[in-house]
Amino acid sequence: MRRRRGAEPQQLLVDPISCEAVGLCAHTVPELITLDRWGYPIVSGESLGAGQIRAAKRAVRGCPRRALGLARVDDGSG
Amino acid sequence: MTILGADPAEHLAQTGSRGSTSLLPAKVHVVRTGAVGPAPGSPEWEIQGWDDHRASCARTRSGGPWVLNVVAAAGLTGHGGGHFPVTRKWRWALDQRRVDAVVANGAESESLSAKDALLMRLRPHLVLDGLLLTAETLGARRAVVWVHAADRTTAEVMQAAVVERRWLSVTDIDVVCAPSAFLSGESSAVKRALSGGPAIPSFEGFGRDQRDGTAVTVVHNVETLARIATAVTESETDTPRERSALGSRLVTILTPTERCVVEVPRGMAVAEAVRQATGRQPPPTAGVLLGGFGGHWARWADVARRTVDTADLPRDGWSLGPGVIAPLWEPACGLAETAAIADYLASESAGQCGPCLFGLPALAKTLRLLRDGKLWRDGTRRLLRDVRAVDGRGACHHPDGAARLASSMLEAFDGDVDAHAAGHPCQDSGRTTLPVPAART
Repeated sequence: MRRRRGAEPQQLLVDPISCEAVGLCAHTVPELITLDRWGYPIVSGESLGAGQIRAAKRAVRGCPRRALGLARVDDGSG
Repeated sequence: MTILGADPAEHLAQTGSRGSTSLLPAKVHVVRTGAVGPAPGSPEWEIQGWDDHRASCARTRSGGPWVLNVVAAAGLTGHGGGHFPVTRKWRWALDQRRVDAVVANGAESESLSAKDALLMRLRPHLVLDGLLLTAETLGARRAVVWVHAADRTTAEVMQAAVVERRWLSVTDIDVVCAPSAFLSGESSAVKRALSGGPAIPSFEGFGRDQRDGTAVTVVHNVETLARIATAVTESETDTPRERSALGSRLVTILTPTERCVVEVPRGMAVAEAVRQATGRQPPPTAGVLLGGFGGHWARWADVARRTVDTADLPRDGWSLGPGVIAPLWEPACGLAETAAIADYLASESAGQCGPCLFGLPALAKTLRLLRDGKLWRDGTRRLLRDVRAVDGRGACHHPDGAARLASSMLEAFDGDVDAHAAGHPCQDSGRTTLPVPAART
C-alpha cells in the first residue's frame, strides 16, 4: 500500500552501512550533500522544502548502493 | 550447576529490604574488571531459587493489556542507558502485525557496568517474570535471554532458572549467548542476530514500520524487565508508594579495587551514592566518567550534589547511561584515560559504516597525539574536526559515544588540555587507572 506523505516534513537520510563512498550523490545535488575526507556523504538532517525534495529524490534514485532515502523527520519509534 | 533454594526468611534478613520490593541487596561488591563475580574477600553470592522467588513476589496472572496500564501508570523508562519509555515501545510493537520475540538484553555493552549481569546472577526469576509478562502482553511467540558468551556463569544461571520453571511457561524461553563484542548488545544487533544474521548493528532509519507482515522483535534491558515484574507485583499487593522500588535505579560505582553495585533512590545525590558504596569521596578537583566508555566526563564538583536521576544533571544530554559512575580516585591524566578508551572503542567498531571505520581510528590517533603533547600547531582544532566527522554518522550510536567522550574531555579537563596542546604533557599521562580492555588488533 502506498501512503501519501504530502504534508509530512521529510529529511534526507544516509544508510551508512550500505554506503560505499561512491560519491555520485554529492555530484548530483551538491546543495544538499557534501563529502567528508573519506568520501562519505554528509547530510544536514533538516526538513526539506518542496524544491529540495525534488533534488533529494534525484540523489536517492542515482545512488548505486541504494543507500539514500527520504524519511519523516524524527519519527521517534524506539 | 545447582540453584540454592534459599530460605525466604534468611534471604529477607540478608537483603534487609524484602518488605519493600528492591531488586538487590543494599550493596554488592563485584570484581573490578571482566566477567561479573564476587570481589575478593566478599561473600559468595546466593542465587534466588524458584521457591524463594515464588514466596516473595511471583506473579499470579499472565500478562495482557492490563500490564500495559500498570507499566504506564508507573511511568517506567528503559534502564539500558536510553531511558526510552517502555509503553511507547510496546504501543509501537502492538501496532505492528506480529511480534516475533521479546528479548531480555543482558549483554549491554558498557564494560564498566556490572548491574545487569549481577541482577541475572542473583535474581534470575525476577528477570524471567518480566520477560514472560512482556511476551504475553505483546503476544510474542518466543522469549529470549541474550547474554555474553564470555560470561558463562551468568548464562548457566539463567539456563538453570529456565529449566527450574519450565513446567510454568507457555512461551518458549531460549538462553542465547552473544559474541563477546562491545556492540553485540546493541538492540539492532540483537534483532539482526536473532533473525539469522551476524550480531552487528543494522540501519533502522528509513522506516521502522513493518506493516508488510515482517515480525518485529522487542528488546528490553534486564533491569527494565525486572522493574516491569516489580511494578506488577506492587500493583497486586498495593505496595505503598514510599516502599515502591520503581523510584530507584541500580548504579555501578568503580572504586580503586572493585566495582560496587548499589540500588539508590532517584532522588539521591551522586556523592551520597558514592559514599554509600565506598565510604569515601574522590577529591573535588577529580574528573568522573559518567555512563561508561560511551558516556562523558564531568568534574566531580559539578555533579557531586546532583541526583542520580538523569533529568537533574547539569546539562542537557548528560546521563548516567546504564548507571555508571567512575571517579578518578588517584591522580590521573584524563587525556590518557580518554585516549585508551578511544583506542578500545575504535577497535570495537563493527566496521560497517565508513565514518566509524575510518573516523574512530583517526579520532583515537589525535587523542594519543594530544596525550603525548605532540599535537603541535593544530591544537584542539584537529580534535574538534575529528569529533564532528564521526558524531551521529553511524547506523548505531557507537561513534556518537566516542564523540561525546572526546568533546566532554575538552571541557572537564580544560586546564590539562591546554598544557598538553602546548606540548607539556602531565606526569600521569604515561599510565591509566580505569580498567579499559585492551584494544583488539
